[in-house]
Amino acid sequence: MYLVAHVDTSICSETACKLCTQFCPETNTILYDNDKKTAFVAVDRCKACEICVSICDTMAKHHAIKMIMITELENPFEMNKAGFNPAKWKELPETVVLEKVAK
Amino acid sequence: MSMDNLKISPALEKYMTKEYRDLVERGPYGKQKKVSEMGTFKEIIEEHPMCAGCAMTLFIRLTMIGLPNPEHTILVGTAGCGRLALSQTSIPFIYGNYGDTNAVASGLKRGLEMRFPEQPKDVVVMAGDGGLADIGFSTVLHSWFRKEKFTTIMLDNEVYGNTGGQESGMTERGAILKMAPKGKKYEKMDMLGLAKTANVPYIVRMTVTNPTRVASVVRKAVLIAREIGPTFIQAYTSCNIEYAIPTPKVIDDAKSLEAERYGFQEFISDEAKAFLESIEPKKAKATKSTED
Ligand SMILES: Cc1ncc(C[n+]2csc(CCOP(=O)(O)OP(=O)(O)O)c2C)c(N)n1
Ligand code: SF4
Ligand code: SF4
Ligand code: SF4
Repeated sequence: MYLVAHVDTSICSETACKLCTQFCPETNTILYDNDKKTAFVAVDRCKACEICVSICDTMAKHHAIKMIMITELENPFEMNKAGFNPAKWKELPETVVLEKVAK
Repeated sequence: MSMDNLKISPALEKYMTKEYRDLVERGPYGKQKKVSEMGTFKEIIEEHPMCAGCAMTLFIRLTMIGLPNPEHTILVGTAGCGRLALSQTSIPFIYGNYGDTNAVASGLKRGLEMRFPEQPKDVVVMAGDGGLADIGFSTVLHSWFRKEKFTTIMLDNEVYGNTGGQESGMTERGAILKMAPKGKKYEKMDMLGLAKTANVPYIVRMTVTNPTRVASVVRKAVLIAREIGPTFIQAYTSCNIEYAIPTPKVIDDAKSLEAERYGFQEFISDEAKAFLESIEPKKAKATKSTED
């Protein structure tokens, strides 16, 4: 088990400032959905540095990103599988945060 | 011309990886992207093994966005952390020997000018402070004195990060590192001053705190190098491992260093400024500077 960054899309889409996307050191890891107006994370590329969390908390002041155990996510977005193809992302199943998994 | 090189031949389409197709269809080639568009286009760098939260990684990512014509760019680097990401870009990367980056880049740029007289080809050296200020020092300085037309970007993490924490000429006096347990005895080298002495027409000192500014400075440096002469960017790109910076604090660290001793500085010669104005009348104004 390991941590990944997870964007609460309902909070993010209220402003969608895109700041986290510009400060994540990794390429194409915090992506931006133009239709849903929200940032989201490609979990297979996230190195769990938490820079995005501090950017969203202190610079954007939106508190939309939390670190979360990978096992608590159902259908997380993976760049390796999906490729960079926004038109096809629409067909992917929604990412769901599961209730806390028993440790 | 080079756009045709990127296109996939229909017969080979099914054999190409999706990363390659994504790049051709949704990458930044032929249409320079903005920092504000990040997250909505396929970037030039693929996955790589640089450490989590490394400011150097972020700086390299932003640099790739600043390149005016990635399809006509060749990167030159050497041993050190930066090459771990630079070698995973979809633009040619030459791994020079430690120390000879600016000699390699000089020959390369001259050769490209002869081979492609009609098409500007940009050469960009990106290497660490050890690579450029210590072991590559003489080739860097000589390329400046010879007015070689390419950009040199120093990824200044103020340490030899890749080999476990030796001091470099760019380490601050007094800094204690694994391999400098008593603290460095000498001052940080003044590479910006040396660049001025060599009459380098565009010199910038910066950090990663302003992504748009990083991309804009890189763009200007590359354009000026095409026409006027050598350009130099010295960027503070902290090593969170050797300086024990908790990764969520990496940007805060850059901000406090910026306030303390690594403020944004941009020096541009009159000739370079006039050239920028001639190609981009509105944009040529110098990026807002804290000093000079
Ligand atoms: C001629 C030569 N000497 C020594 C080395 C070993 N070496 C590899 S990386 C490195 C240090 C890199 O430090 P720096 O250039 O500051 O880059 P950083 O890793 O800090 O980004 C050294 C000394 C080498 N590869 N070649
Ligand atoms: S910084 Fe926060 S609010 Fe802004 S885009 Fe990122 S997740 Fe959304
Ligand atoms: S934790 Fe780090 S690597 Fe992961 S999305 Fe956030 S900034 Fe990017
Ligand atoms: S060792 Fe330091 S400079 Fe190198 S990748 Fe890791 S954090 Fe970055």
